[in-house]
Amino acid sequence: MVLKDKLHGVFKGTVERMTNPRTVSAFKEKGVLSVNEFLLAGDNLVSKCPTWSWESGEPSKRKSYLPAEKQFLITRNVPCMRRASAVEEEYEAAGGEVLVDDDDNDGWLATHGKPKDGKSEEENLPSMETLEISKKNTIQSFSSHFGGEEEEDIPDMEEYEDPDNLIETDPATLQSSYLVAHEPDDDNILRTRTYDVSITYDKYYQTPRVWLTGYDESRMLLHPELVLEDVSQDHARKTVTIEDHPHLPGKHASVHPCRHGDVMKKIIDVLMSRGVEPEVDKYLFLFLKFVASVIPTIEYDYTMDFDLGSSST
Amino acid sequence: MAGQDNGPLLQFSPFQSAVDEGFWHRLSDMKLNHLGLDESPIPITGFYAPCSHSQVSNRLTLLGESLPSEPSAHSSNSPFSSGNRNKCSIPGVLYNTNTLESFKALDKQSLLEAEAKKIWEDIHSGRVEQESSLLSRFLLISFADLKQWKFYYRFAFPALKLDPPATIASLEPASQCFSLQEAESLTVACNEWRNSSTTADVPFFLVSIDSNSHASIRHLKDWEVCRSDGHKQCLFGFYDPCHLPNNPGWPLRNFIAFICSRWNLQKIRFFCYREHRGFADLGLSLVGEALISVSQEWKHCKHIPKAVGWEVYEGNKGKKVFRCITLANSMDPTKLAVTAA
Repeated sequence: MVLKDKLHGVFKGTVERMTNPRTVSAFKEKGVLSVNEFLLAGDNLVSKCPTWSWESGEPSKRKSYLPAEKQFLITRNVPCMRRASAVEEEYEAAGGEVLVDDDDNDGWLATHGKPKDGKSEEENLPSMETLEISKKNTIQSFSSHFGGEEEEDIPDMEEYEDPDNLIETDPATLQSSYLVAHEPDDDNILRTRTYDVSITYDKYYQTPRVWLTGYDESRMLLHPELVLEDVSQDHARKTVTIEDHPHLPGKHASVHPCRHGDVMKKIIDVLMSRGVEPEVDKYLFLFLKFVASVIPTIEYDYTMDFDLGSSST
Repeated sequence: MAGQDNGPLLQFSPFQSAVDEGFWHRLSDMKLNHLGLDESPIPITGFYAPCSHSQVSNRLTLLGESLPSEPSAHSSNSPFSSGNRNKCSIPGVLYNTNTLESFKALDKQSLLEAEAKKIWEDIHSGRVEQESSLLSRFLLISFADLKQWKFYYRFAFPALKLDPPATIASLEPASQCFSLQEAESLTVACNEWRNSSTTADVPFFLVSIDSNSHASIRHLKDWEVCRSDGHKQCLFGFYDPCHLPNNPGWPLRNFIAFICSRWNLQKIRFFCYREHRGFADLGLSLVGEALISVSQEWKHCKHIPKAVGWEVYEGNKGKKVFRCITLANSMDPTKLAVTAA
């Protein structure tokens, strides 16, 4: 890891230990969340999008400023049918990058696949370009979970003979090896990768932070390096880094939160300029929509019929 | 095959398993600090939820908390978070061996039969009516190579075999089996069941629809009420982890075995409950009718049916291999020291 990042990590950890968590709301002024606001927004996400739930994680990693049963949010087994590079190709073919803004329905960050319609630039909605933190590749050399780096090409899989496994001759068992998505004629076996997506509270940046744990099509843990294939290539290795998860064991890919507050502030400003008063319990819906531009292929749930706040008009 | 004159065989899509990294961390910790060379079976808890995406099946997931929190014997009832709709608990057992050789030498068939026998006994004792997740008991064998931080493992999801197998009279999306009014009422009832912390993680249930098209969901133990109430329709519902449009998932197998041996039905209308974005989706859910013609022996507890259920995993070149994961990067102290330097 780069020394600068290392030092920053130490600094951040120290600050987190020394400072009290934010208790006063600065949601509209800075785009950040207090601990209580995070809990409020999390409760709202769980109730509107019930594929999300609160979890307590590793007991040894619990944060005292959060309730034991509400340490972080997670949604599991989210499909990722395509690689991000494939999406980007289509997307460019369809006319363009970024964020579509539509006055009629308060359309927000565009989901991918919509062509640019010309109106989008002038509003200068937050673009992820500004989020770049470092051109440096902070990822250590790649080695698969299935073999160590110093091992032979094919890890020594233990084969077995299994004459007694009746499941293979059982007429009432649907015989298919692991199930590849059933749309025909698409050869890409990687399509059925799945993700566990989690949201933690970052005390230093006072914003939520998104983490990705990937599984391959046979439900084996995916090395975090391979997760970067499912991240918008503008962000892989820059805004998306691989770090220790604050509540779970192991290294996980994460969208670095250093600019989250600024981006959220911009989003909130745009809303306010339209006379929409943003409500803090909707924060995570806005946040996850914005995260969708970084991980366009992972079909996690952030939908609700909103109404981003009470309109003051 | 016998019984095919009644229609095609009912084929179940096998349960899929996924093991979170936290499970192996916790197991290593237990092995090093508490278990030592003790190879006694360990009670574990798996978690699953209904399918919630039209393209992927849900899985039985093992997490760090799947292992008992205290290494003592009476921790099998460890208070795992109950009422979490995305984590329905299923009881399982882990056989972790000390060597790769003893792992390979485990008598898999008899281990599977032992679990199947527990399921069978729970069916006949009536325990299943109180605690329906007992129908989905599972089994995990593993060898933890803590020198290389490598874990070999294999799952089994024991299923009691009907003889002859069930055949299928009909199977279609649930949305096509009900009137609009019924479908609406059923959707409301399902969402209520899933939203209540007392029922959210109860994976098997009864659905009754009365002559006013009003649907209600009940616990298995209310079968007598359900049956005697003169309901227009009674269906056997379960959380279906499978996403396929033409096959129900694995939990239905033991559910059908339970229904036909306990309640002596030959025709079973089942409801494969599935969700979209966390809400009941009758377009993805299935309703089917299974026909069963098992022998009289099924009523006797002494007669234990045959069981199947070892998960098959194919590695390179289609060869069958044990699942194996190497976690040296996140466990090996020397590697951790290097990345932390």
